[in-house]
Amino acid sequence: MQESMGLFTIATILREIMSQYVSNPQWVDLFMALINIGGIFTLISMAAIVLVYAERKISAYMQMRIGPNRVGLWGTLQSVADMIKLMSKEDIMPIGADKWMWVLAPVLLFIPSALVYAVFPFDQHAIFADLNIGIFYFLAVASQSTLPFLMAGWASNNKYSLLGGMRTVAQMLSYEVPIAFSILGVVMLVGSMRMSDIVAAQQDVWFICLQPVAFVVYIIAAIAETNRAPFDLVESESELIAGPFTEYSGMRWALFFLAEYANLLAASAIATTLFLGGWSGPWLPGWLWFLLKVGLMIFLFMWLRWTFPRLRVDQLMTFGWKILLPVALGNVLITGIGIYTYKFLG
Amino acid sequence: MLGKGLLKGMRITFKRFLGKKVTVQYPEEKIPMSPRFRGGELELDMEKCIACGLCAMACPNKAIQLTSVMGENKKRRLASYIYHSGRCLYCNLCVEACPTKALNWDRNYENSRYFRRQLDVDCLLSSQQSGDAEGRF
Repeated sequence: MQESMGLFTIATILREIMSQYVSNPQWVDLFMALINIGGIFTLISMAAIVLVYAERKISAYMQMRIGPNRVGLWGTLQSVADMIKLMSKEDIMPIGADKWMWVLAPVLLFIPSALVYAVFPFDQHAIFADLNIGIFYFLAVASQSTLPFLMAGWASNNKYSLLGGMRTVAQMLSYEVPIAFSILGVVMLVGSMRMSDIVAAQQDVWFICLQPVAFVVYIIAAIAETNRAPFDLVESESELIAGPFTEYSGMRWALFFLAEYANLLAASAIATTLFLGGWSGPWLPGWLWFLLKVGLMIFLFMWLRWTFPRLRVDQLMTFGWKILLPVALGNVLITGIGIYTYKFLG
Repeated sequence: MLGKGLLKGMRITFKRFLGKKVTVQYPEEKIPMSPRFRGGELELDMEKCIACGLCAMACPNKAIQLTSVMGENKKRRLASYIYHSGRCLYCNLCVEACPTKALNWDRNYENSRYFRRQLDVDCLLSSQQSGDAEGRF
């Protein structure tokens, strides 16, 4: 059951079927790569639709409301209706905008959010690129999403957007440091940055048990990295309208939204891979376990978002540099001592 | 302990998440109004009404217009009873003035109309068709 339903088995079957019709094995490889990419893009766009619905439903339930329930069964088609509305909206460009930068920003923001999906192990052997620096690649590519925010903020020629853009840079750069150090604890335990190795190392015990501090630091920093409440200073509706997104409308704005939810999914997928044992689990196929754990992580992120109020900018910076970073560093130190003692004892 | 409040908050939101929802799905569900709610339209009980005209006299805005005729064995009987709800200030004086408690509020709050004339309600008509209690259409 587990093996026969795995993504790798499906890919093998697909490859066999294709090789009957396509003689050149290189073409088969190319087609398989294209199918994989298509699968990842489908996942991202589906995730945005599903997550918007989930976010609205969860926020409603936490506020003792019912949430969307008119479009489709239990309002499940609400996001589809929203999407159609967004596509039919007028595309407005502000007069003073820096045209090229303004147009490029949403597209450029989407690229790193989609690129990181290359290294996620969805199932056993089901990983688009099993790089030997997988987690490092994730950190490096994910940090690229800082710039499009600033681009959007600057090019909009709007003081609130610029403030939001500047806040993004400050926030995302500050919280990248604790995120890297929290991941370092796991990497030290595994001794490898390859994603499949990290999952394989968690067959007996999940790293959330060995690295609880790193997990908490990662969760907090990941919320800041994805610009969600309580760290949503970037878009803070009540102060900055929507930060860098203020001047965008219709599909351009939707691209920002898509990237935002892609980032949320990516942060949850990384948390699953690093701390919750990735795709490993009994009875069910691996990808289902992966999706379940990712769903759990997303619920945690949404739970946090709808519980806590927004921080001030100075509180955010203080918390990042004076609390989170020392804690992450201390965790690295203690992990190092622990590994050394473990090796020393036997 | 630091962070205890955060956990407490999270516990509360989780309880809310699982708990009962307070939303009333308005057009389908309606909350019954309290017994002393003043609003909507006047409901006239023809059986009890003695056509004394005290309600019309009590009204500070002259929102009630009624005419009566003398019937057999010298008893007054209502000929027409029009309630101009556009003029009404919902002071309840008419209901209080009624000696036989024939007047009541229908405890309705959906009063918006497209035309001004629809605000004038013929209470005689609506009390006759007590089924849907709408005298104006």
